Formats: sequence, C-alpha cells, structure tokens
Amino acid sequence: MRSKKRFETMAKREHYVVIGNGVAGTEAALQLRQRDQNSHITMLTAGKLLSINRYEFPKVFSPCGSDWRDFLLHPPEYYDEHEISIQRNIWVTHVNAAEKLLMLRHRESLSYTKLLIASGGGRYIPESLNQFRDLMEKFGTYEEAKTVSEALSKGGHVVMLGGDMIGLDLARSLIKYGFRVTVIGQEYLFWPHHVEPAEKQRFTTILQDMGISVRSYASVESIEQGKSGRKARHIVLNDGKTIDADIILSFCGLMPSLAFMAGAGVDIERGVLVDPHLKSTDKNIWAAGDVCQIWSPEENQYRFYYGWENVKEMGRVAAFNMTGGNESISTFQDEKLIVTDTGEIDSPFWQFS
Amino acid sequence: MVKIGKHKTDIQIAICGSAGDGTIAAGDILKQAMAKAGYNVIAFDIYPPEIRGFGKCVARARITSEQVYSLKSESDALVSLNDSHAIAHVQEVGRYGAVIYEDTPISDIAEGAHISSHLAPAHLPYGVAFREISERVTGSARSRNIVAVGYLAGLYDMPVEAFHHVITQKFATKSQALADSVLDGFNAGYHIGANTFHLHFDRIGTSRGKGKQSDLVMMSGNAAVARGCMDAEIDAFFGYPITPATTIMETLAHEMPKRGARMLQTEDEISAIAATIGAGYAGARAATATSGPGLALMSEMMGLGVMAEVPIVAFISQRGGPSTGLPTKTEQSDLNLAVFGVAGDGQRIILAPTNVEGCYKCAGKAFEMAEKYQTPVVVLLDLYLSNRYEAVELPKKNPFAKNCSKPITQKTNQSSYKRFKLTNDGISPRAIPGDEACMHTVTGLEHDEQGRPSDHPVMHQTMSEKRHKKLLGAVNHRGITISKRFGDKRKVDVGILGWGSTFGEILEAMIEARKEGIRCSAMKVVMLSPLPLKPINAFFDDCGEVLVPELNYEAQFASLIVGATGRQVHRLNRVTGSPMRVREILAEIRRLADKAQMIAAQ
Repeated sequence: MRSKKRFETMAKREHYVVIGNGVAGTEAALQLRQRDQNSHITMLTAGKLLSINRYEFPKVFSPCGSDWRDFLLHPPEYYDEHEISIQRNIWVTHVNAAEKLLMLRHRESLSYTKLLIASGGGRYIPESLNQFRDLMEKFGTYEEAKTVSEALSKGGHVVMLGGDMIGLDLARSLIKYGFRVTVIGQEYLFWPHHVEPAEKQRFTTILQDMGISVRSYASVESIEQGKSGRKARHIVLNDGKTIDADIILSFCGLMPSLAFMAGAGVDIERGVLVDPHLKSTDKNIWAAGDVCQIWSPEENQYRFYYGWENVKEMGRVAAFNMTGGNESISTFQDEKLIVTDTGEIDSPFWQFS
Repeated sequence: MVKIGKHKTDIQIAICGSAGDGTIAAGDILKQAMAKAGYNVIAFDIYPPEIRGFGKCVARARITSEQVYSLKSESDALVSLNDSHAIAHVQEVGRYGAVIYEDTPISDIAEGAHISSHLAPAHLPYGVAFREISERVTGSARSRNIVAVGYLAGLYDMPVEAFHHVITQKFATKSQALADSVLDGFNAGYHIGANTFHLHFDRIGTSRGKGKQSDLVMMSGNAAVARGCMDAEIDAFFGYPITPATTIMETLAHEMPKRGARMLQTEDEISAIAATIGAGYAGARAATATSGPGLALMSEMMGLGVMAEVPIVAFISQRGGPSTGLPTKTEQSDLNLAVFGVAGDGQRIILAPTNVEGCYKCAGKAFEMAEKYQTPVVVLLDLYLSNRYEAVELPKKNPFAKNCSKPITQKTNQSSYKRFKLTNDGISPRAIPGDEACMHTVTGLEHDEQGRPSDHPVMHQTMSEKRHKKLLGAVNHRGITISKRFGDKRKVDVGILGWGSTFGEILEAMIEARKEGIRCSAMKVVMLSPLPLKPINAFFDDCGEVLVPELNYEAQFASLIVGATGRQVHRLNRVTGSPMRVREILAEIRRLADKAQMIAAQ
C-alpha cells in the first residue's frame, strides 16, 4: 500500500523541462523550484558545462589566467540544493508536443508535463560570409572562447566582421589586454541597438577613440588562409585593400537556436512566437530569452528582446506562469546606446548581475 | 610524442561494461601501456560469475608517479561501455571527474536509461560515438572498446607509443590485418580524444621512469605467484579449477612444461592435495592452488601433510563464503580455516602477502620454508590480491634457494635412519624415498622417530611438541618480510594492524591520517602462523589504540591476535564483496585518535 501511495504521489508531480541553461533557463529553473517544491525539474543543455556567464567571456584573455569554474553562475552544489537535474551534452532533436515528449540525439525520449524553450541563439553569419565560415573562429561557448584566447599571441590582431554589441564588448576588453581589433561592416554595427545613421558616425568615432579600428563602409570580398610566415588569415575588402589577421570572428547578431522545434506544432517565425505571458501556441510550452519573439500589443508585432535583465525577467515570468501564474512581461531595460562621462560607449546589453 | 607534464601523476580510471564488451581487455591495454611508460599502476578487475552475456565487468587502474598502495575510493574518470551497468558507478567519480560514454546507441533507449541523465553536476560529460567510429575505421563495432581506450589516452595526454607497443604485442599472434585494424581503432579514438577540449584538470605528469620505457612489469597477484613458483623451480603442480585461483594453474600449465616440470589437472581438490603430498613426499617441489571451498575439501589431507611432515605449498585465494558464496567477490574469511582447519593440533605455516610483489616473494619462499621446516605451507591470497595488477620490478637475480632440506650427515645402515628424529630445533634430517640407506615409514598415525605407528602417551606429547617447535624458527626465515611496521616508529595514538590485501588500504589511510597530524603507525603481518609475537607485542606497547580492519564478519585476524597476545583491539569488519574503503579506515583512525587524546588528557 505504501509503495502504491508513493507512486501515486510521484505521478502527480509536474515534470518541468527547461531546454537551455543560459540566463533565462537558469532563472526559470530557480523560480520553478521556489514555486513548486514538489516538482521534478530538468534542465537540458548541449554544452558540457553548468550554467555559465557568457558576459564574462572576454576575461579569458586576461593575463591573470582563469578556468571555466571562474565563469559558473552557480557552483555544482547549487543544483543539488535546489534539486535541479542539469543534464549536459544533450541535444534535443525533436519535440512531440502532442505526446509531450522530447526526442534526444542519443535516442532517448524524455517526457515532460510543461516545457520551457530557452535555448538562446547562436552566431548569425550573413549569406555573403557563409562561404568563409571555416576560416572564422567561434566565440559562443567557453571552450570556443578559450580556444580563441590560446590561439591569439600577445598583441595579436583580431578582425571582427559585423561588430554587434557582443563583439564590441569583447573588442574593448581585447584593447585593454593589449590586442589589436579591427571591425569591418556597417549593417550589424551596434546590433541590437537601433542607431540612426547620424548617430552611428558619432559612435564609430568614439569606438576609434577607444582604440578600435573601424572600417564601417568596407565589406569582405574574400577570406583566405594566411601564407606561411604571415598571419593566419588574409582578408580582401571590396575596395581592394587587404587586412591580415590572427583571428577572424563574426559578430552579426544572433540566430535563435530552435531547429529542433521544426514540426513540433508550435508557431515559429524567426523565433518561437509567444504571447506576453510567454506562452507558445501549445498550451504546455513556453519560451524565454533570445529564442522567443514576444507579441507587443503596443507595436502590434512580435519582437525580440535582448540583454541580461530582459532575458532573466523572461525566465522569471515564464516560470511564474508555468506554475499557475498569470503575469505579462512588461518591464524591459533601456535599450539605448550611451556615452559615459569618460567618453566611452556603454550599453545596457553589457550589464549583468 | 606527447609532452609529459612535470607535475605528479595520480589518476584512477574505471572502465565498466558488460561481459563481452571487451571491458577487461580495454583495462588490460591501459594498465600494460602505462606500466610500460614507467608509471606505477595498481589495477583491479571485477567480473561476473557468468561467462558471457549480461554480467557486469569493471576494470579499474590507478596510475601514479609515486608509490601508492591501493586503489582510490573515487575514480577520476569512468568509461561506460554499457550504461545499464555503469550508471551504478557514476557515483564513484570524483568532483570534476570525467564520465565518458557512448553517444550514439544502436537502438532507442528508455527514459532514464542513458548515463548522461545520471551525472552529478560536478561531473564532466564526454559523449563519444564509439560504435560509429569503430564501424567506420575497423569495419566492425567490436573494436569500440579499443576506440574508447584510444579516446581516453588522447583525452589524458597518455604516451601513445606505449599503447602502440602493448597493442602490437597483444595481437602479435593474430593476423596482421587484425592487428592493424585494432591500431587504427585506437588511433582514431586517440585523435578525437586529443582534440577534445579538456575540461578536466587531471593530467598525466611525470612517471616513475621519468618517461623512459621501464623494467616495470604489470602483473597480477596470481601471475606473481606463478612466477614465484617458476623461479623457485617447482617440479609438480596439481590443481582443480576454481575462481579466483584458476589463473595460477593456467599460467603454470603454460610455463611448467617448458622446463620439463609437470602440471596435472586432477578430478577434484582432494585428489589435487593428495597428489601434491605424494609428490612432496617423493622429493619434488610440489604445490596446489584453490579457494576456500577447495581448502575445506583439502583439510583432511593437509593434516596428513602435517603429521607426515611432508613439504608442500598450497595457494589459497579467498572469495566470499561460506559454501559457494560469492565466487567473484573478495573476502578474507578463510583465515580460521587456513590456520585451524585440520583434525588435531595441526599447526603449519601460513603466509599472507599484502601486495603483488609480496605474492612473488611468498610463493618462492614458501617452497624454501616447506622444505626447511618439513610442513605444508599455505599462502593465503584473496580475490582482490589475486586479480589485482601492480607494476612491479622483479629482482634480476633469482632470490630463492634450492634444496633447503636438512641434510643427512651420517648414513649408516637402514635401521639407524630416523626420519622423525628428535632434534633441538625439532627438524629432522630428511631422506627421499628410494634412498636405500634411509629406509623409513611414513603414516598419518602418530609415530615414533622411525615413523612406526605409536600411541604411547609420551610419544604423542613429544612428537606434538616437535611439530610445533620446529615452526618457531620460521618467524626468522631469511629473505622474507614476516612483519613490518610503517609510519611513526615511536609511541603513537593509533596503530593499525593488518594482513593480506587490505593492508594497501590501511597504508593509504595511515598516510592520510599522518597528513592530518594524527600520530599513527601501521603494521602488516605476513606470517599468520606461527605469529611473530615479538614485533606484534612491541607494536601494541607503542600504540594507544589498535585497529584491525579486515574483510570478514567474524574479525578472524583480530581474534587470532587477541588470543595470542591477550591485548585488546578495535575491530573494523566489512563483507561487501569489495575492498575496504580507505575513508572508512581513516574515519575509524580519527575516532580512535580522539579517544586516545581524551584518555591522555585524563
């Protein structure tokens, strides 16, 4: 009798599955635990590490040295204390919303009662650059960031294609650590900030004052492997000029990571479409963070919101609503690019807590 | 060529799979290669009683640059070749340890059946497509264990040349195509492992041999016994297979005929001991090997060996008991049977080595002692020691003496020779049957000096005293460690007294305790009968509290010591089928140290 009763109790427990362990997913898992202490919570991530603070990745270039433990949002004990099962190196290949099942790459199926998509976004590479992607380094994970830092010799030259705010955050750190940085491109410069053309010139000048070389009106014609004894990469611009670089990084904004949602029966545009409660078109699926497009009644359109504070709030609201709440996402951080008293660029997207 | 770091090496790897997955073979390549590269290696394999198909196999190897004495409680990496078995072992992986597993199972698996969902947050997951790589590179999934070893070697920057050497040697008798295929599988895994981002912090550092190929040989306890037998020039071996002693017979069956010696598999253990006694009586260096159930069957004949003063050697590898018990699990519960298991007062020599090198020495010295003291000598092993592998450096010069029997100085006539002559040391000059000048009688009955049956009360008293007295000299037998003390040599709060395979864990615990500032000392007792009472009593005199950890329920060694010395001990007994955990012994040392301090303060 006792075991039957226990089984019945277990059967009633919610199983919240959170895909992604970034800021949104990590915050959601905590909120889920606080609001439903009897539940089973599983976080899935394709990475090998626990939740990590990507905003601090530029520190991999610090001469003081660091390892991945310095970047953890929480120590391993945190997950045990909060009874959050964090499963890493897990790739979701398909979501069967009708049967509330996740299909995993290693051929295991995982059932859920409520699902939060918080898988974030990966680097976006414009079509014109896609043919050169193998000559561009990645910087999205700790392993990738560390690999770049180890490949870059002292005072080395980094070329950034695009120059979004993630890249510019890295650029200012690289300058501080004594590296050279050149930014090429106009279209993605300062993304996701919406900067008027007149202002863009002013901010570009400030970037140059900060020590970052900007070729805003140039575009890449070709990228080649550097010749022996020269730098590793050779870039030919559309104006015929060339640049040699040790490392080339693409910073042209983010592309939501949701290939696994194809065929799930959930409405998707560029991201997962959710209402202001962050609920998708499936009653058991929510989305938060860089992966979702939220309906904005004021703008009468779906739109993305970026930045630490925004995605953290999304994680909180989604978890609140997954546990029976009814809250709309409403407060977002200021999205304006600013100039500090010392004359440097600053962005709310660089802030984290 | 991998650059070896300058830091010390201490990494423990566990490989877990199902029987038939090649788990033990993978572990064997790992330990052989690392020993070849000059590292100290202690390894222990666990396998199921079933032959094939579903039982669990675990191969563990601790690879170090410094001398260590046991496996660690926690492994630094676990390789899963079968998740259904390996999931239970995830918990043995330490903080920031790696769990390496198959990432592309061949078929759909049930929820929760994949190991990735069982990792602790502090574990590091390394999923690898072992099967796919093996199929792609070797044309078969069968080499996925080799791919796994290669990946492991690459991931931990292990010296690749040593692996190539061991694999080539291991497959030397197979076709070249097969050997090449296995090497391809290893190299494919190695390449992927070496190019995987290393999140773990353990690295292979310096070796004992400082990177040079060394004279260290990876050897199991049973292999060391067989080698000791061969170096002692064994003439005859009789045995009947039983886990975990079988490999002694298997090895000798292969080696003895090369030297013209004889090995016979008998129909049972009774025949084996009977034939051994017969050969020993005839002057051969003779031995048998069995486990606890076999020793039970041999008890009666063992008594004949004592009474007839026939030199023989019996290697007994203990396993979980009683009866069939736990055939593939370790235990130290046959001590009472070994020491007391004969009819009457049948004392004989009992040796219990504590490590693989000790197995070699005890095996060879057992023949010397059997001849010198004219008695059966039991060498008491256990599964953990029989199957444990260590990197050992064997002596270049054969350390074992030949023909240790007390010589006959005077040959007069047939009637004057006394096979059981009463002497000061209790040892009689020994003649071999067939010597016309030394005709004598041998019987299981009590007898007089010439071997003729006698139930005279004085004769039985005298002969009993002779058979016991002659053994006393054995505690001073040269060239073998009878007992040895480690750690603090002065007064200490805690002493740990141990025997057999558990002593490795005892030493590790003592070393840890000393690092914590606890005044402690450990003593191993290799000769369990007769007991070396002088050093044991001296040890008790120096220790505030004495702890006796052993793998049996009845505290057999502790009781033996208490009975012989009248001293008090603290018992620590486990019968889990696994070696004693260092941390359990350490916890007990801490408790006793506190107690000793409190008593001292009063």
